[in-house]
Amino acid sequence: MIRLNNIVATYTTQRGSINAVDGVSLEIPDGIILGIAGESGCGKSTLMKVIYGDVVSPLSLSAGSVEYGFRDERGGEVTGRNIRRYWFRRISYIPQSSMSSLNPVVRISRQFVDFLEPAKNKAKVLEEVRAYVKQLDLPPEAIDAYPHQLSGGMRQRIMVALATFFQPDIILADEPTTALDVVVQKSILLLLMELQEKMRNTIILVSHDMGVHYQATHRMLVMYAARAVEYGDSEAIFSRPLHPYTRMLIDSLPTIGDDHARQGVPGRPPSLWEPLQGCRFAARCPLATEVCRQQEPALTEYRPGHFAACHYANQQAREQPLQVSEVRP
Amino acid sequence: MNLSLLERDSNATATGTLLKRKTPRLNLRLKLGIAILAFFVIGSLVLPFFTSVNPSQQATYLKNLPMSGQHLLGTNALGQDIFWFLVFAVRNSLILGVTVSLCITVISTLMGLSAGYLGGWYERIIMLVVDAFITIPVFPILIVLSALVRGSPSFILIGLVLVVFGWAWGARTVRSMALSLREQEFVNMARFSGATTFDIITRELLPYTFSYIVVNFINTILFAINMEAALAVIGLSNVQVPTLGSILFWALNYNALLIGQLSWIVAPIVATVLLFLGLFLTSTGYNELSATRRGVA
Repeated sequence: MIRLNNIVATYTTQRGSINAVDGVSLEIPDGIILGIAGESGCGKSTLMKVIYGDVVSPLSLSAGSVEYGFRDERGGEVTGRNIRRYWFRRISYIPQSSMSSLNPVVRISRQFVDFLEPAKNKAKVLEEVRAYVKQLDLPPEAIDAYPHQLSGGMRQRIMVALATFFQPDIILADEPTTALDVVVQKSILLLLMELQEKMRNTIILVSHDMGVHYQATHRMLVMYAARAVEYGDSEAIFSRPLHPYTRMLIDSLPTIGDDHARQGVPGRPPSLWEPLQGCRFAARCPLATEVCRQQEPALTEYRPGHFAACHYANQQAREQPLQVSEVRP
Repeated sequence: MNLSLLERDSNATATGTLLKRKTPRLNLRLKLGIAILAFFVIGSLVLPFFTSVNPSQQATYLKNLPMSGQHLLGTNALGQDIFWFLVFAVRNSLILGVTVSLCITVISTLMGLSAGYLGGWYERIIMLVVDAFITIPVFPILIVLSALVRGSPSFILIGLVLVVFGWAWGARTVRSMALSLREQEFVNMARFSGATTFDIITRELLPYTFSYIVVNFINTILFAINMEAALAVIGLSNVQVPTLGSILFWALNYNALLIGQLSWIVAPIVATVLLFLGLFLTSTGYNELSATRRGVA
């Protein structure tokens, strides 16, 4: 189990500092695909950086810690501070854009073996890589190519192969399908799901595409303005969302046979520069009342394993239809 | 099932032929350039073994002999064989050029890549030094230095000064490449897969800048040979050592044109031009080759 304890991640700039992730606590069970959803700037990618242990200036961890639930050779707890040593062995990363994630002037085969421990036999590893990429539906010769000789889908498959070759316990995928067209997108998602089923590891998948979450994830975290607003099983989140923001996100998805115009979520997320009071979604929320504007709701378990941070995440609120009204300034 | 298997197989072979490793085909410019360079390098390195005469020894032969089978380019007003003097001159100039260029390339690449990638205080200090060296003009410095050591500075000193004042510009260019490279996703990926800073600089940034570095290396050979020749012509290099510049110095000093010993002055000029042509063709040809390999040409 990966445990995030009250993560506060701060970017320090010349203008001042800003908490891009502001107090997120989470327990991620092993062997699932966790989706992180939310709009741009809500802290998804920053949270990923923190989980990966890549906290470098200007980002810093002001509070909180990450526990990965596995131990090093000497039996010590592996935390965000020493996870670096296990990069790509126990925790790996699939980047957003495969276009620029491979060095364009180096053959892919060399990129596979470049950063192995010197003790390993590179030729032998390369044979294993060849066999492995074949499993991922790539021609084994593909690794002899330069990146520009492959298509976008093939390149992303190569990235998946790189990230999964050592069978890590945790794989972070930051919008792994964003730059691809829908057909390739689907095949990459299916590949990830298939690999996860085989290796039984944990995949954390960031995407702003709710469709991707619906297809691929077991559990979901919805973030809004640096906070976790809802966390639970994906199925429950899609069928019975607790937080109005999640509901509005889901309602904005088109469905086949429904030709009504889709409603977006009006307004914009609050600026993190200003001091924030009350629920961060209150200004855009059709259910917001005085309580919401005064008190910040905590992430509370409303159903077993289903958390939400909303004062009205109870039955009554869920029954009430959401009227998107005039947005308050 | 069968059909899909078949399809996949045919697909695989199609990509297979596409990706077959091809030895890069040398383009015409590169071939010509390498041929010219090979001619000079092999000629100037091998031929000295076939003569027992010290070419800079004066009065070895009669003065101002015309071209003949004995003296391919005749002899000069100092009684030296022009052909053999030229062979040694090309050799010395090449050795100086390559050594200086090698030092400059290594220093500027290391400084540039590390400054650009690491940033921070390290970069600021390096760039301060680089900018200082860029603004100091080399040639006047060399003139002053040569004057200080009374017109006969050692060959090594000349090379040293060229290195000290020649590395900065390359470092600045390489740094700017590293600056843009460090924001690239593949550098992040390398870091994420546990690469150390040194690994990233040598395995990710260096290959990317390699073709530029090669071209710059060749151009720096030109710069070094040129600079030494310029100093020699005005008598500020060590003119006792045969170089492409010192031949010209002696030829001009003894009015080779007026006494009709044309080969004395024409031969080094032709050799210099040819050598420069060879270096130029190699550098542009290599540029084209690496562009083809990257798939942009």
